[in-house]
Amino acid sequence: MPSSDDSSGELTSGTRRAAAQPPRASGPPEAGPDPVHQQSQEALHEAEEAVVAGGIGARFRALLGLDSPDFSWTKVLAKQGILLAFVIAMVGFSLASDRFLSFDNFSSVLRQSSIIGIMALGVTIVVISGNLDLSVGSMLSFATILVVDLHDKIGPAPAMAVALVAALACGAINGTLVGVLRLNSLIVTLGMLSAIQGFTLIYSGGQNADITNQSDTWFAFFGRGEIAGIAVPILLFLGLAIILEWVLHGTTFGRRIFAIGSKASAAEYSGINRVKTVFFSYLISAFCVWCAAVVMGSRVMGSQNTVGKGYELLVLAAIIVGGASLLGGSGKISKTVIGVLLLGFIQNGLLLLGFSYWTQWLVTWVVIIVAVWLDVGARRGRLLSPYA
Amino acid sequence: MLSQPTSKLARTVVRAVAGLLPAALVATAVAQEDEVITIGITQNNVGIDSYQTTYEQAFIEAANNNPEVEAIVLDAQGDVEKQINQMRDLIQQDVDAIIIWPTQGKAVVPVVRQAERAGIPVIVTNSQIAEEGQQFIASFSGPDNITQGIYSAEIMCDRFTEMGIEDEAVIVQIAGMPGYTTAIERAQGFEERLPEVCPNVELIETQPGDWNREKSQTVMETFLTKYDDIDGVYSGDDNMGVGALNAAKAAGRADEIIFVGATNFAVGYEAMGRGEYWGSIYQSPVEDARNALRTAVAVVKGEDVPKSNYFDTPKITQENMDQYTKPVF
Repeated sequence: MPSSDDSSGELTSGTRRAAAQPPRASGPPEAGPDPVHQQSQEALHEAEEAVVAGGIGARFRALLGLDSPDFSWTKVLAKQGILLAFVIAMVGFSLASDRFLSFDNFSSVLRQSSIIGIMALGVTIVVISGNLDLSVGSMLSFATILVVDLHDKIGPAPAMAVALVAALACGAINGTLVGVLRLNSLIVTLGMLSAIQGFTLIYSGGQNADITNQSDTWFAFFGRGEIAGIAVPILLFLGLAIILEWVLHGTTFGRRIFAIGSKASAAEYSGINRVKTVFFSYLISAFCVWCAAVVMGSRVMGSQNTVGKGYELLVLAAIIVGGASLLGGSGKISKTVIGVLLLGFIQNGLLLLGFSYWTQWLVTWVVIIVAVWLDVGARRGRLLSPYA
Repeated sequence: MLSQPTSKLARTVVRAVAGLLPAALVATAVAQEDEVITIGITQNNVGIDSYQTTYEQAFIEAANNNPEVEAIVLDAQGDVEKQINQMRDLIQQDVDAIIIWPTQGKAVVPVVRQAERAGIPVIVTNSQIAEEGQQFIASFSGPDNITQGIYSAEIMCDRFTEMGIEDEAVIVQIAGMPGYTTAIERAQGFEERLPEVCPNVELIETQPGDWNREKSQTVMETFLTKYDDIDGVYSGDDNMGVGALNAAKAAGRADEIIFVGATNFAVGYEAMGRGEYWGSIYQSPVEDARNALRTAVAVVKGEDVPKSNYFDTPKITQENMDQYTKPVF
């Protein structure tokens, strides 16, 4: 296998700079981006240029892609639908409840969403690389139980270290099975979801864990602390989002993730080390779960064996709402963040308005289905037809 | 804090394997010492929480301490299908009685009926099965969730009366997992009793906390945003109650709120000791397990057993907590 650096850079930057420079003739044809993707990238690039050229009006037109030669409202909806939905939901809730639009409420929703959010960041990277990670729910339970249980036994810092090692070990198993052995990621991580849950129960013997002295531990900082009036979980969430956004779009590793997710065989022919890239994507996911576990343990100051049960689906929901394709190759950290916030604010808004829980389930379902519909609609170029 | 899982697990596995032995083998064993009562139990989901884990340990211990009893201990791991198969296995082995902790109140009714047809008395433990299955069971052994809800309402009302705010207090409720019988009954008992004892206390909103402390904390944070005045929080168990307490402490409003739960957990007991949490209902998994075994033995011996054989779940508050040991879960 040839050294991957040059060719992968060429391949993926080709995707990103398609409009600025023609694809190099020397690049392998099958390694190039698929035409639809390329087209949308071109439109995006033109939009970016328009932003640079004009003021707010141009910025808005660029955001919606109004100047694009193949403009259609379907595309606008599909591309920025999540943002529109977010704005509509926020305006609606603000009008309906006078409690909604307040610093305290926003801060509390952001804090509540940060656990799901931090996990969703890591899983977004796995999803972009064309795989799934359903094991994050159990991994969260495991890491949280570990960090909380060991907190009183060996101290906060060693407890966090042990939990980190355990989480990364889970990630490494996922990475090995999916990356090296090339097993189907859905099956592997679904299995790991059960296996890690079982292991958590064996470790804890079914008992809940609690931190005895809650007021005197610096561990409280991660879930309950504040820096300059902003809760630490929010800062961790946004900080990680910025770092991972940079990893995805500013590093070779990030470009390889996109390349593998777009067309794994093509990426490999062009010399990308698929094994290594997939393995690291699962390590990143596990690392994010560990961060979430530290926030969770610190926020609750205790842990149930099944505390993360069902979180894998909430995480996946946020990512889908954020528009990442489950088939891989596309997705944005920033949109996942909006997806997480949208679901968080919807839950909060419905609670504030006094709707019962089944309404929340129903609305969440509708939001997810509409998000998927818009996504598919964008690929087909039309919303109300099963054909492209 | 944590038990020794390996030995417990090993024992469970051994017993589970024993439970799978061919029926003929067990039948021979029973024939040889016919004074032994064979009781099979299929539990809901051991290990999912401390309560069920302690229940199993207590049950095995109680069975070991009773020379008349040979127990076959099985666990359905929360899986209805698995529980139905375990019931069929136990019927096949022709045990003297079957104790079932239903994974799902409705789905197990047909197989309970099958056991009754085969002449094996069925004792339901901890959580009730559906109404249509009642005719097929010998007895129900467990806590009375409705009584627990009623007691919680009384604890709450008594406390408001002591504080002199029984005519103006407003409270919120954080209920258990929607659709779960325990959650429904605890809410029902509370909601029915409260207007009887404290007619002017208003329950302004109920939302589920899914038995999850983090979820409950999130729900309470929203309640605190929504309502400027909350005097009491009733939660389906102390785990959720402590989640609500966490939220109120973070908002600096814990001092003005009375927290009452429907089952006392160790975290709730400790919070009561710190004076942050007012009261709850003392439900012992050990007593739950022993009561189930006692009921089953009594049924096999043909004694007169009430259809609902509840064990006692007393009120516990900051005032009388020294009479009770800290819950194991």
